[in-house]
Amino acid sequence: MEKLLEDVVRVAGGWIEARYQERRSLLLSSRNGHFEQCSSGRTRGIGVRALSGGALGFSSTTDLSEKGLRQALASAQMLAAATREGKSHPVKLAPARPVRGTFPVDTVDRLDAHPLEEKIALVSRLDEQVRRASPKIVSSSVIYAETIDERIVATSEGTVVRVLDSKPSLRVLAVAGSAGEQFVGLQTVGVTGGWAELHARRHPDELVVEAVRIAIAQLAAPHTAGGLATVVLDPDLVGTLCHEAIGHTVEADIVLGGAVTADKIGHRVASELVTLCDSGLPLRGGHAVGLLPVDDEGVEAGRTVLVERGILRSYLHNRESAAHYGVTPTGNARAYQYSDEPIIRMTNTYIEPGETPVADLFEGIDDGYYLRGFAMSGQADSNAEFMFGVREAFRIKRGRVGSMVRGVTISGNAFDVLLSVDAVGDDFSWENGAGICGKGQPAKVDAGGPHIRCRLTLGGRQL
Amino acid sequence: MNDRLLETCRDGCAMATQMGATAAEVFAQDSEETSASIEKHDLQLARSSRELSYGVRTLVGDRLGFASTNDVRDLGDVCRDALALAKAAPGDPHNRFPEPAAHVAVEGLFDEEAHAFTPRHVVDRALEMLRVAGAIDRRIVVGDGAFSAVRMTRAVANTLGVAASEASTFFAHHILVTAREGDRVSSMDFQAGATHWARDIDIVPAVDLACRNALDSLGCSAGESFQGIVILSPSAVLDVLVAPLLFQVNARNVLRGLSRWSDRLGTPIASRGLSITDDGTIASGVASSSFDREGVPHASLSLVAHGRLQSFLHNAYSSSAFGIPNTRHAAGSAASLPMIGPTNLAITPGDATLDELIADTKCGILVGRFSGNVDPVSGDFSGVAKAAQLLRSGRRAGPVTGTLIAGNVFAALEAILDVSRETQQIYGFRLAHVRVDGISITST
Repeated sequence: MEKLLEDVVRVAGGWIEARYQERRSLLLSSRNGHFEQCSSGRTRGIGVRALSGGALGFSSTTDLSEKGLRQALASAQMLAAATREGKSHPVKLAPARPVRGTFPVDTVDRLDAHPLEEKIALVSRLDEQVRRASPKIVSSSVIYAETIDERIVATSEGTVVRVLDSKPSLRVLAVAGSAGEQFVGLQTVGVTGGWAELHARRHPDELVVEAVRIAIAQLAAPHTAGGLATVVLDPDLVGTLCHEAIGHTVEADIVLGGAVTADKIGHRVASELVTLCDSGLPLRGGHAVGLLPVDDEGVEAGRTVLVERGILRSYLHNRESAAHYGVTPTGNARAYQYSDEPIIRMTNTYIEPGETPVADLFEGIDDGYYLRGFAMSGQADSNAEFMFGVREAFRIKRGRVGSMVRGVTISGNAFDVLLSVDAVGDDFSWENGAGICGKGQPAKVDAGGPHIRCRLTLGGRQL
Repeated sequence: MNDRLLETCRDGCAMATQMGATAAEVFAQDSEETSASIEKHDLQLARSSRELSYGVRTLVGDRLGFASTNDVRDLGDVCRDALALAKAAPGDPHNRFPEPAAHVAVEGLFDEEAHAFTPRHVVDRALEMLRVAGAIDRRIVVGDGAFSAVRMTRAVANTLGVAASEASTFFAHHILVTAREGDRVSSMDFQAGATHWARDIDIVPAVDLACRNALDSLGCSAGESFQGIVILSPSAVLDVLVAPLLFQVNARNVLRGLSRWSDRLGTPIASRGLSITDDGTIASGVASSSFDREGVPHASLSLVAHGRLQSFLHNAYSSSAFGIPNTRHAAGSAASLPMIGPTNLAITPGDATLDELIADTKCGILVGRFSGNVDPVSGDFSGVAKAAQLLRSGRRAGPVTGTLIAGNVFAALEAILDVSRETQQIYGFRLAHVRVDGISITST
């Protein structure tokens, strides 16, 4: 396949990028002791992008023969021609050094070395553990998912890379009920790697204990009135803030579409304690879900410093936006499937750890909140306004973490929140690996960071 | 093409049973799409794709396995995968396929002239969206948008005798805009439209509404905090009320113990002003089709009548588990197991116009869009009111920003005061404005 792609794109004429992708997926789910899903999928195909006369065209096919590839290429060139007249700004691509080679998955324990029966047994066991944990648990759910990918990217400029990928994830949900009310406890883990790396990130039994604890704790928790408050955010919420509320506003296509970060390069957008990055490299313990050695335009991964000590330094680029801004591509062009065209996506987005011991972050907070975990719900706009559900919220009184409150959301302008950061913890963890980012097409990404202390608005109830 | 696809489904069923399956079902989907996207207020990319997908369900006794592929040459391997998964999976007595049922083809889903809709036409429609937005106001920036033309054939067969196929055409568009004025940036607004017929394509209403909502949210002032009345737009009704309601009436969630309405059939779950129907048989309906994901013909269903819960949504599995007739709401693609989902869901319009709802509101807010969190299990919701207007003494008192609304869906359904006469189509949903009391409103 590598030779076929290389041979065809080399002589096609004009700029061409051809990408073969084969994916195998497995999804196992059990709920309340009933096995709901035992399913697998396999897809393979080729996506071709052509640049002609300043316009791009894209076509995909499942015909993997030379004829099928040539037809897809001709279709992409025809679509580029159809678009040319209507474009206000011709597309140009920033130069990228051709890359060649194979990039394997970093794992000591491949997923396909573990039989289906072992994975089913894990899911069934965890589901049973949740249900047996407490009579207050009224519903349970466990989902194991894995995707194993092979991608080959070839461009007319000489890039030919083969990238192998493997991403397992586990999700444990407990629902506690009492007096007609029900509350959810959700715990997830996801990695780039194999079976051992998934278990090493967080042991499955720990997910069960935490999910059950969170669900039950909410039964007795009161609502809070909300309002502006001093808070300590855990790495999960820091990662969510980095990805959802900041990260999307620095994707160059969103910037050019009118995001609040336009014309803000070189300006202060955060406290000087904040350095915020995106990287497809295996940094900080490795195995983050957004690892991407070479992107789908054939650009090698790097570490992009988006905010350096509070100053906005860069956007995330593909080759088109890099040419527009006259900068180097950052390796963020990603396509989910062969049938998707590469667009600008984050990889692993995080705040660098600081120097404050985590325990010290709570000191001096007379009346505030300790907020833990993204509740997998919320939204953020390109003006950096956001609203996220919080999995667990605790009152902080006179520097001590106290009782839980429920139904808490956080909202505000993400850059205002980052400007208010007055302490950054010395810890770090990746936390968002089980989720999927949606931007027209899905993407597996990760995010994380240290604990931070800041001020933001809590949504509660008028009590 | 329909017949050939259906024949492949039958072949797949035969293969699976020869390999040892007790029963088998093959669902196939042949989709051909051309689209043109907008980014950065410019035409971005024209694209085309063609994909045939096959999803195979096999039963070994009461054990179920599923596997899918996008390559017909793998159909045998996928039958083998599904069989291996079934053999490894624990059993469930309600794993079963539906029996065949006579169905009448729903009219108006296939445009014979769609073949004349070329990539050039697709690009022209996307350009029209940009042109219309630009003509409304120079402050508008179209951050994202697309126009797509889809031709799809679905076929499904099972070893009990279900055999159905259908072709449809679909033209859809969406637009996401912001307004910029100096350093001020409005909220994003998203609107969309869809039709089965090329002659019915009209991008103007969605573009116009998105632009006006974005412009209205420029120059907002701070709101006020109180507990009181909120008028939800159809878009906000979808997110705040309809999405959690659909979670609660999904029979799978009832079986999972996640619905608090498991014993509420026939009893009030909302105020008398709320009635909701679902009907996948509406001629030319956006979400219509002649049969569901399991090959069973759709039917009309009353979900909520004058506030009383009338039915849950079922597929073959859940109807077996409940021991009641199937409501024919199996949903999903060839790449996944059949789920449960609505078709054309509609809120029955009320008598009062939106202006009359506003005139009846002494103190409240009108919410254009809801950006927040709704927990469908507990019913708690909290989020930012976008494109919001403060209502005072029966009048709009100006746009407000930084306003959170919070409450509980179950309480809100019972506190519905009115449903508007006007409705808006949002993909398969036809929804009205809904006026609700007792919502917590917090200005930040």
